[in-house]
Amino acid sequence: MKKTGMLVMMLLVLCVGQVWGASLPAIVSTDWLEQNLGNPDLRIVDIRDLGEYKAGHIPGAVSAAYGSWAINVKPLDNEVPEQEDLQDVIRNAGISEKTMVVVVGKTDTIPNQVNSPRVAWTLQYAGIKQAAFLDGGISKWLADKKPMSTDMVKVVPTTVSIKFQKNMMANKADVTAGKAMLVDSRLPEFYFGASKVPHVKRPGKIAGAALLPSAWLFKKDGTLREVSEIEAMAVGVVGKDKSKDMILYCDSGRLSAGFVYVLTNVLGYKNVRMYDASLQDWVEDPKAPLTMYNWN
Amino acid sequence: MVKRPSDNLSVCGSCHGEIAKNYKNSLHYTTAGLKHGVNGRMATAEGKIFNEKVFPKACNSCHASCGDCHVKVPVIGGINIGLIKGHQFVKRDEAKTCALCHGGRVYPEYTGEYGGTPDVHYQKGMFCADCHVKSETHGDGTVQTGRKDIMDRPSCQKCHPSGTEKSDKSKLAHSAHNGKVSCVACHSSGDYRNCTNCHEGKGAKATPGFILGRNPRDKKTVTTLRIIPTVRDTFVESGVKMEKFDALPNYWDTSPHNIKKRTDRTRSCDTCHVEKSGFLTRETLIKGGSKANEGLISEPKALK
Repeated sequence: MKKTGMLVMMLLVLCVGQVWGASLPAIVSTDWLEQNLGNPDLRIVDIRDLGEYKAGHIPGAVSAAYGSWAINVKPLDNEVPEQEDLQDVIRNAGISEKTMVVVVGKTDTIPNQVNSPRVAWTLQYAGIKQAAFLDGGISKWLADKKPMSTDMVKVVPTTVSIKFQKNMMANKADVTAGKAMLVDSRLPEFYFGASKVPHVKRPGKIAGAALLPSAWLFKKDGTLREVSEIEAMAVGVVGKDKSKDMILYCDSGRLSAGFVYVLTNVLGYKNVRMYDASLQDWVEDPKAPLTMYNWN
Repeated sequence: MVKRPSDNLSVCGSCHGEIAKNYKNSLHYTTAGLKHGVNGRMATAEGKIFNEKVFPKACNSCHASCGDCHVKVPVIGGINIGLIKGHQFVKRDEAKTCALCHGGRVYPEYTGEYGGTPDVHYQKGMFCADCHVKSETHGDGTVQTGRKDIMDRPSCQKCHPSGTEKSDKSKLAHSAHNGKVSCVACHSSGDYRNCTNCHEGKGAKATPGFILGRNPRDKKTVTTLRIIPTVRDTFVESGVKMEKFDALPNYWDTSPHNIKKRTDRTRSCDTCHVEKSGFLTRETLIKGGSKANEGLISEPKALK
């Protein structure tokens, strides 16, 4: 495996006439990524656990596990790290303002499926505009019999200065202001109030929120559904107006990243924000209302 | 069929003689750290009972054979996930070996699964054996009674010596606290696992906590403390009353594996010197604990 990965890298580097993608597709396929493995403007970021990375990864990929991108800040899970800390992570991954970043993760569970778009969104929130994720993740890469490597990749840290893009983030005040369409990206049983995850104190949804589950973005094999199908789902819920102001939320800001990424990067909606702290933050106020047992 | 063939060190030692010879005295094989950790609470006679009857059946039953790290994932709490990589011998695979025995606290702290932020060394692609070298894991041949006996154990300053700081702020902070505060006291990112009622007969329960106090092994230094509550009646059923229970504290110096460059304590002097966050106080001492615990309370000085 190690030798195969090295060979592929060498062939790609030697291939002077190689035409690499000038820009990053919103949905990165395994074929596109393989063709761009030697692209000097590309950085592949593997967000799986370090042990999994060491056992085998895409040639040239650097390791930066999911926990580096989304931390727990009591009582909230999945928070964006402090700007200086996130900047260190981005610098140490060898990413600069103009780097094309492809995030590679696992797709075996719903949380793992949304982790990759969550990290891509975090990079964009930090001002790294060209950030996307590998469709189907490492499972699809392996299924397609693409090369793997066990070489530990070390990169020279960059000196990039990041700046949070405030227009991508919403807080509780933005939600209560009532100006934006609210979208709940959890599964229906949670939206309806029939179920609750342990890390959220109360069941239910924020009044007026529409339902658009991020889990439905993915097929059983962990790849995204066809864009036409995703677009039809989205239009059916949020409408066709690409300038509509929207705020997506879930339990902790993890699930919502799926549709936030797709609405913005794939479908072209311009004003999509994420209520990152989501219901974990909302229910901290015991008087904050949640509605249950209706589909409105 | 021999269940754990490498438990007999001469099996691997026939080819790896030097390693097997060293390993015989190492803490991974003898688990002597557990014995010596608790012996100080016992009078001579009951210490003998403990060492002969309790230790071999309890603490020492967890010792690691060669195969537990190089062939088969160690069985912990009855959970057996099988071989590491078929029946091949592997040099190192920390996520399947170290992570199992040290998965109660160290490993999940390190990866960020416990506490929320991965250790900065994990973020940079470092794994257990990058710091914990062979002479530590295999032993160096000397008879070791505890982790502090290991000459080649990890030390922050081996890689980050004083005077190599990049900013004046760091230089000033490090020189002001040198010899008084451990590195981890400031650079632990926050809560780590504390065993609040292990060995109480109620089943193990761990709670997150961040505790600062005097190092019981060096009371001049403030460091992070972890609750290791051997309670008064832990070994009563075996006839060991621990007559000298109060000789040792229930809090011990610890190096949480959740290191972070910037923390609340590195960002602001007020965190310790005004708010006194995390410092052990009489009010927060565990109930019914050792009388030695009070000696670990440290009052941070007010800023001039």
